[in-house]
Amino acid sequence: MNENLTRISAAPHIRDKHSTTGIMGDVIIALMPAAIFGIYNFGIHAYLLIIVCMLSCMFFEAITQRIFKKPVTVRDLSAALTGLLLALNLPPEFPVWMAILGSAFAIIVVKQMFGGLGHNFMNPALAARCFLMMSFVGPMTRFTYDGITSATPLAVLKNGGEVDLLTMFLGTHGGTIGETSAAALLIGALYLLFKRVIDIRIPFVYIGTFFVCILVYALTAGEMNINDALYFSGAHICGGGLILGAFFMATDYVTSPITNGGKIIYGIILGALTFILRIYGGSAEGVSYAIIISNLLVPLIETVTVPKTFGKGAEKLSLSDNMGRLRKKDKKDKESIGKVVFAIFVICIISGLLLGAVYKITKAPIDEAAQREREASYNVVFPEAASYEMIDDVSMDDINLKISELGYSGSEVDELLYALDENKNIMGYVFIITNSEGYSGDIQMAVGVDKDGTVTGLSMLAISETKGLGMEAKDDPSFAEQYIGKNVESFEVIKQGETEENQILAISGATITTNAITNAVNAALGIAEYLTGGGAHE
Amino acid sequence: MAIFTFKGGVHPDDGKKLTMNKEIEEYIPKGDMVYPLNQHIGAPAVPVVKRGDRVLVGEKIAEAGGFISANIHSSVSGKVIAIEPRLTVNGNKVESIVIENDNLYEEIDYSLNTKPLEEMYREDVIEVIKEAGIVGMGGAGFPTHVKLSPKNEQDIDTIIVNGAECEPYLTSDYRRMIEEPEKIIVGLKIIINLFENARGIIAVEDNKPKAIKKLREMLKNEENITLNVMKTKYPQGAERQLIYANTGRYINSKMLPADAGCIVQNVDTVISIYEAVIMGRPLISRVVTVSGDCIQEPKNYIVRIGTNMRELVEASGGFSVDPGKTIAGGPMMGKALYSLEVPVTKGTSALIAFKNDEVSENEIGNCIKCGRCINTCPSHVMPYKLMNLAYAGKMEEFVKNDGMECCECGCCSYICPAKRPLTQTIASARKSILAKGKK
Repeated sequence: MNENLTRISAAPHIRDKHSTTGIMGDVIIALMPAAIFGIYNFGIHAYLLIIVCMLSCMFFEAITQRIFKKPVTVRDLSAALTGLLLALNLPPEFPVWMAILGSAFAIIVVKQMFGGLGHNFMNPALAARCFLMMSFVGPMTRFTYDGITSATPLAVLKNGGEVDLLTMFLGTHGGTIGETSAAALLIGALYLLFKRVIDIRIPFVYIGTFFVCILVYALTAGEMNINDALYFSGAHICGGGLILGAFFMATDYVTSPITNGGKIIYGIILGALTFILRIYGGSAEGVSYAIIISNLLVPLIETVTVPKTFGKGAEKLSLSDNMGRLRKKDKKDKESIGKVVFAIFVICIISGLLLGAVYKITKAPIDEAAQREREASYNVVFPEAASYEMIDDVSMDDINLKISELGYSGSEVDELLYALDENKNIMGYVFIITNSEGYSGDIQMAVGVDKDGTVTGLSMLAISETKGLGMEAKDDPSFAEQYIGKNVESFEVIKQGETEENQILAISGATITTNAITNAVNAALGIAEYLTGGGAHE
Repeated sequence: MAIFTFKGGVHPDDGKKLTMNKEIEEYIPKGDMVYPLNQHIGAPAVPVVKRGDRVLVGEKIAEAGGFISANIHSSVSGKVIAIEPRLTVNGNKVESIVIENDNLYEEIDYSLNTKPLEEMYREDVIEVIKEAGIVGMGGAGFPTHVKLSPKNEQDIDTIIVNGAECEPYLTSDYRRMIEEPEKIIVGLKIIINLFENARGIIAVEDNKPKAIKKLREMLKNEENITLNVMKTKYPQGAERQLIYANTGRYINSKMLPADAGCIVQNVDTVISIYEAVIMGRPLISRVVTVSGDCIQEPKNYIVRIGTNMRELVEASGGFSVDPGKTIAGGPMMGKALYSLEVPVTKGTSALIAFKNDEVSENEIGNCIKCGRCINTCPSHVMPYKLMNLAYAGKMEEFVKNDGMECCECGCCSYICPAKRPLTQTIASARKSILAKGKK
């Protein structure tokens, strides 16, 4: 017998089959349904982005580790996973070079600079997403679907529009590559739960808290009935990457609490933050910021949720308590779950009510401010006038009837004023007019028309079109200037080429917005002509 | 029926099918026998023989060296050829008595060691057990007569026979439960009768249906002994977890089982008690499982204490290939061997040889904070944190974070997906803290 017994190590001598690589691989497998659906939904560019992000993340990991003279650990698949998650969080038409920049940020700055796998304090993919969001607002918020720029369902919801819940669940709508299909994501989530890669606590508490918050909000501040409120809440859960975030990114081991109690607290914070950011924040999304903010709280959460050590506080038996000591099990474990659930419930109700109340209280001042803004706009659109006077000899109903007769249905006059000179002579008209056919709902604007039928000014009052697209109507003054000073019967919109006197060049990517505004201006011109008796063009 | 268990633990591949249907065979040693003087916790035994003496089977060759210590008996007849340091399973050399086996197996008269049970008082029984050199045979080797003499004798209400055998590959207790259940039951009764208020529990994991069936049948008419079927999970047989699973009582590292009114005995130990009290036979043999994928014919042996490990491997047909790792004891808590020239001692439950060494094959990675170590830790401490503190040398914080509550079961190292040596690091930190405390 010639045995070689030189391999010595301390016990234990066997190891479980799970490995870091296996876990990362499982998460990648679990993301496949969502990735494949994303490619099916958005086409080849989505595929390109996924591949580019994964490869560039792995490349940056290898190169940084080489430079830092550390062992290269690309084979553990963690970089590939970061790349995949980042890609799934990008809009389908996102420029490739920006995606590579995002990958570099995720791996080099967020992950390797802090010590590599296990040491990053923020989810690298999400940190990169937020980095891209701040750097490239336009491309990060331009969502195209079927070749048309379209708002995400959450943006529609935020602007008071309606969405189809089934479409949202299945995912055949605009959004980032991986977030649209709740169904595909849930298949992956079930796989991870089944393989015990992730713990149900974080996603369950996260979505649960969010659901309760949004439901309470919808019922109180939103003044919806129970069915609408449930529909609204359901749409909010399916939309905007909540499922993707809750199951795949909030559960990231490195950046979530390691203790089971901590996972519950973390979930509550995530749910509440997402709710606040979505309803009261500037953008329709809230998941990414909620997660990276909560990532920062993780060390604190962990220190207050240290598990109770086995046998801690156990007391020696003595004869005196000899009787009642059989099977004195610690019942605390079971009780505490109920308490936590109750606490979550109470926190959600209170925060929901609180936010609802804040909404109610601030509603009146907000309305007042809007009125002041309207009045200020009279001056903007008809600067030559000395004063303005509400027209009361014509009823608004007649005016709006006339607008639809003229073929400009969709536009509706809210206010109509005379623009008067110092001697109270009528110089023209100021219209506060709303077109309901904007891309994200109503666009309210002020239009000034003088007695000749010349447009004296155009100013957007209430507009919530897509940032970087339809919103240019307000943000880019040159758009309004196309109308000002022109004396035409009506304007028409063209998409490209040289414009003639009566032609308006559509805002790139926002034809619908341009049409809506032009429709309203034409309606104003029509009414102005009607009021002055058609003298202007004869 | 309630399933008895605890929170945490792991489910390693148990490998028991290799030997669970192999009857216990007696192995007759051929070579020299080596008896290390510290086969137990406490003071080493003191030799009572000298070089050149001839001894018989069952003759006392070393005497307890203190209150916590145990006698050692010869398991063969032959001549004492040396009293010198010899290599043991721990990897160090320990003062040992070496006996040349004359293969005659001449026995002393065992009947002189004991009396009929009816004629014995409590003190007599404990004296017999002490004389027989019985120690805990699960591995720790705590002298049994000390365990059976707690200060709070009146408080002891539960005697648990630990038949969990949660360590993978081990089948020695299982075979004993199937082959000699009557000895276990009588042995347990002897212990119960030492305490006024005690009842008995035989605790078995539910992966041993044959043993459960047999014991249940035999315990049908026993009012004072219950059979508890526990969930199969490592470390179900760890003392603190076993007590919790069967009684709902917690004990921590500063307490003894007796503080929770319990005394826990290993199956083999109970049988040794039976043999000592009823038959007058001292502890000179034990059951050893020789198993693992590298052993040609895995088997269960009844082995005389002091037998060379190499003989057991040869009896089992030798290694199939060069072993990747050889372990004395179970794969979770056993000791890796670098030589087979070590004797079987009172605490040796198994000899396992694997073709592959799962430890050196796996690269150690960064902690990804997956939390598996926390969820599996039967002591409910935070292994990843303790390991970081141990690495950083922050021993005060290590203690503050309940590092001393670790029972070194190995679950955290087993489960860690990054293959980090959690148990090992924590265990060495504990050792250095304990060593400092003793100074």
